[in-house]
Amino acid sequence: MKIWTSEHTFNHPWETVATAAWRKYPNPHNPAVIGTDVVERQVVDGVLHTHRLVSSIWYFPKWAQALIGSAKVCYAREHSEVNPSTRQMILKTINLTFCRHIAVNETIKYTPHPSDPGKTLLTQEAVVTVKGVPLTNYMEDLLTNKISNNAGKGRQAMEWVINKLNDEVKDLTRSTDEILNQTKKSLDDITSSAKQSLDDISQKAKKSLDEMHIQRVKELKN
Amino acid sequence: MDSIGEACSDLKKQYDACFNSWFSEHFLKGNTNDSMCAPMFKVYQQCVKKAMKEHKIDFHEVEKDLLGTSEERQPPKNGK
Repeated sequence: MKIWTSEHTFNHPWETVATAAWRKYPNPHNPAVIGTDVVERQVVDGVLHTHRLVSSIWYFPKWAQALIGSAKVCYAREHSEVNPSTRQMILKTINLTFCRHIAVNETIKYTPHPSDPGKTLLTQEAVVTVKGVPLTNYMEDLLTNKISNNAGKGRQAMEWVINKLNDEVKDLTRSTDEILNQTKKSLDDITSSAKQSLDDISQKAKKSLDEMHIQRVKELKN
Repeated sequence: MDSIGEACSDLKKQYDACFNSWFSEHFLKGNTNDSMCAPMFKVYQQCVKKAMKEHKIDFHEVEKDLLGTSEERQPPKNGK
């Protein structure tokens, strides 16, 4: 058994990080994850519980394939809890494929940073157990290294998603601005054309009044 | 993100879009009523559960207690 732990601080509030966590995949940093499916989801006492099935492609070196079978699509089960009142998000993942020989239990926690509530602390733990195959210790090291390597990619992925979310908000603001501008412009257009038509009408009215007046004078003269 | 069942991917994308907006606009703001996306979730669920069966994925296998039950794997019997 090997235990691996790690910590990281995101310079974003917990709400942003929790929102991004749901939208983490797909991202260019973790191409191995090819699918996520919500199998169960419900709110219990204000806490959101979700079971997801995560599908990913694992590539093993040739020699390892002989021991654990060739790599195809592998499945993992993720159970998560989100508590918005305590600002906690916990995700626990366990592999469903290779269960007889390999168990990877991963726990990820997103909590507000204790010294700065505007930042988010990520704590991550993985417990790797390999049994029933030769070179157990070597295999455990191999997997632990892989997890450590993937954790870095996972953080990059989260930053990538958060950036994307912020851009979407900007886009939304921009399009709202555009709509407002457009509306103001059309209102201006309407006002100016209304003003113009009023001017036209009064001018025409004045003109016809003048004409009537001239006509009247002419008639009187005759 | 795609679904495990190709046929479910569109349903999943619709549901995900609904969930993402519910999560940030309602749930994180203290409204825990999740009926907003429930109809979409139901349709997507039916599709996923069918796809999981087709892929022979037993989601609850890891939770089951096998030792001591009839489902425990037995060593192969010796002798021919």
